[in-house]
Amino acid sequence: MRDGQSFDDFYRSTTRRMMRYGYAVVGDYNEAQDLVQEAYARAWRQWGRLSAHPAPEAWLRLVVSRLATDRWRRLRGLRGALRLAGAPPSVSPPNEDSVLLVQALRQVPATHRRALALHYLFDMPVEEIAVEIGVPVGTVKSWLSRGRARLAALLPDLAVVELEATDVA
Amino acid sequence: MSRELSELYRSLAADADARDLGLPDVLRHQADRRARLRAAGGTLAVGLVVVGVVIGSQVVAPPSASVPAPAATPTLSASPSPSATGGSPSPSVPPTTPGRTQSATATSPGTGAPQPPRTPTRIPDRAFFTLAPSNDKGIAPVFQDVAALPGLCGARIPSEAVVHRRTRVLIYKLPQTPKGYVPDGSYAHSITIYRAGRADDVLRELRQAVRDCPVQKLPGDDTPGESRQRLIPDSGFGDESVLFEMRRAGQDVNGDPTGMEDVRLIRAIRVGDVVTILWEQGWEGTSSQRAQVDADSRRAAAAIKVWLG
Repeated sequence: MRDGQSFDDFYRSTTRRMMRYGYAVVGDYNEAQDLVQEAYARAWRQWGRLSAHPAPEAWLRLVVSRLATDRWRRLRGLRGALRLAGAPPSVSPPNEDSVLLVQALRQVPATHRRALALHYLFDMPVEEIAVEIGVPVGTVKSWLSRGRARLAALLPDLAVVELEATDVA
Repeated sequence: MSRELSELYRSLAADADARDLGLPDVLRHQADRRARLRAAGGTLAVGLVVVGVVIGSQVVAPPSASVPAPAATPTLSASPSPSATGGSPSPSVPPTTPGRTQSATATSPGTGAPQPPRTPTRIPDRAFFTLAPSNDKGIAPVFQDVAALPGLCGARIPSEAVVHRRTRVLIYKLPQTPKGYVPDGSYAHSITIYRAGRADDVLRELRQAVRDCPVQKLPGDDTPGESRQRLIPDSGFGDESVLFEMRRAGQDVNGDPTGMEDVRLIRAIRVGDVVTILWEQGWEGTSSQRAQVDADSRRAAAAIKVWLG
């Protein structure tokens, strides 16, 4: 039996974080909104069991990541040109820094985007990211390092000190 | 001025926070409705298969004194197969196309029980067609808030029934054009969702607007000349379509007459409550090629049908 009230509470307490994560991983707000809504819809369909899951929010993030990966696979052929054409306009003027970051993230591999989002949006240590994604700690370190290096190359104003952060080591 | 990556992510988070994802009870109801529709569709499909098998066996097999009743129709479980149990999160649903399962197909008069009309409320990227590889110029479509239709003597196509619209600019080449050459044309390509039952009004009013505007002055106070519009008989695209052309004296990039005519083709296609419009806008004075517009129109209609399910 699914408890609508507990789902609604879960939804209200997690939607903001999920939208941040979806935006950072997908790179397009409207698409992120669709994917996050889809993830919640799937969560509700399985809420009877998922409500007892030890980490339902991590489950949601995994669904969003997989949906986003699928979307990026479909759009892979367009990515090169997207770099030339720039980002589609949002409904309301976004923050300039946000736009720059999203444009740069579009040129970063999906695995790196995911690790970066978990680290910077959720303050997750490398070990937790490794558990969530299901890869060795060394792989996460490599993804974070390479993701930062790529972003630094794409965002010339990015502080160099960020690349030397020891939290990746 | 240098910035840190954490600052940029904070900006991204602030942007994300500025949007609203909707109310949870609305999402639950939509998810349940989709599950019910999916289950009903599956049951209907199985039922049709059973009926087909029975009819087929009657045709093939010799008649018998009594036809045994078919076995009870198998029922499909409406519940998705979960795998969110266990220690690590593992969504059972494969990461296939996200989005909808609902249909916006208009019901046909005289057929059996009408399906409940389901008008989608959002237009995902996948609703837009992709160019054929031979037409791909390597320039990604850009979503822009551009006009979906050219002006037609000031006629207004009502917009109050619009649920959602997205428009993009699409640049293509003709198959025979070698790589590295300039493009051969471009589209303003829009998809609009209308409230249930209103999309056919839009196409009817568009036809009337073209009929009422055989000639008009070119837009812009200082632009000399006029354009001539006419409807072109059209069929075979979506549930219905409207095709019209706009002709004007051709001009080169300096505005000097070329002695040729510049022909633009515009096609609106309705699929259920969704209307997609391909407005071919050429490239540096090229005219629309009917065969190319037809091919892209078919792809556009097919993409919408796939999206609507």
